[in-house]
Amino acid sequence: MLEAEATANMLLMTQPFSAPKIEEQPVEVMLVKAVLDGERDRFARLYEMYAPLVHGILLARVPRDEVDDLVQDIFLHALKKLHTLRDPRAFAPWIAMIARNRAMDFYRSSRETVEVTEQMAIARSPNRTAKEILDLIRQLPDAYRETLVLRFVEGMTGPEIAARTGLTPASVRVNLHRGMKLLRERMGALQNRER
Amino acid sequence: MNDNYLWDRSGEPDLDVQKLEEILGTLRYQPRPLEIPNDVRLRAGRPFFTKLAIAAAIGLVAIASGLWVNFNRHRTVPAVATTRDSQIDQKRNAPAPQIAPNDNASQLAVVKGTTPTNIQKRHREPARTLVAQNKSRDTAIRQSTLTPQELAEKEQVLLALRLVSAKLNLAQRKSQGLPQPNIIRNQHKIG
Repeated sequence: MLEAEATANMLLMTQPFSAPKIEEQPVEVMLVKAVLDGERDRFARLYEMYAPLVHGILLARVPRDEVDDLVQDIFLHALKKLHTLRDPRAFAPWIAMIARNRAMDFYRSSRETVEVTEQMAIARSPNRTAKEILDLIRQLPDAYRETLVLRFVEGMTGPEIAARTGLTPASVRVNLHRGMKLLRERMGALQNRER
Repeated sequence: MNDNYLWDRSGEPDLDVQKLEEILGTLRYQPRPLEIPNDVRLRAGRPFFTKLAIAAAIGLVAIASGLWVNFNRHRTVPAVATTRDSQIDQKRNAPAPQIAPNDNASQLAVVKGTTPTNIQKRHREPARTLVAQNKSRDTAIRQSTLTPQELAEKEQVLLALRLVSAKLNLAQRKSQGLPQPNIIRNQHKIG
């Protein structure tokens, strides 16, 4: 009898415990569905969740003075076009793509004005070091600068960046590593020039 | 170089990365409330016209299948009638035999000289021989066999089909964003 009980206990121990799987919908899926059902106020929550992502993507491309207004514009555009989003789980990559396209449009329409404004902003700003480093990051290839801004400015970790941009974790890791290597080189070059 | 700290802030901290975090963190997003203008309108998740088009398509299929079943049912009845009519045509000049008014079996024995086995044979495959010999006559006879009530029903079904088709067309045009056809232009056809 004891032997049988012991065997049963062993069997129970070796078999992994499997809790009943309950598929929980991600928060953004519920929010997107609620907004589409007419609860417009729920969009504010989506905005809170993804504004840093959009801010980071824009900061890697357009002048800082323009970023805040563009973030608002992008979210308003997203609200109007939300019905075109087929898979609510893809909200983050979708809005990231809108932000990238908007940044490209911005440069296409007003490139000269942007450069003058940026120089003025740097000259006026007390936090010049941060802007100089940001300027160095912006000179890096596309894939690196966005990842580095999201990591250093917005404080996201690599897995968070992967989840929000739709990139694979491996790609993000490579982008961070290579981007950081390039940034170190350029910062070293800048310091040598200043000396 | 171990870049775990750069990846997820785990492991031994990298001094350069920490310094960059500290300096660039000053540029971080500052929360601002989203100002949604009142004129921003939300559209439903699934376009209404897509649902309408699906419902119209289902209705069209149901009506078409109903028509098909209806015509199939009618096809057997005129076949018997035409067999009888053709037999009468063949023997038109023959003297009319006397037929008892309430005798159903005598209707099949109209033609002289036909044996019961012959009648049974003709009843087995009446439609095939008729279609092979005279198609136009077959259709003419079939139309003439429809009662006024059946004709009215047929008209109703055809009208319903036309309506469904028009609605489906309208829904398709709306879902594709095409301009709607000018209804006023065609009113002279109706009135």
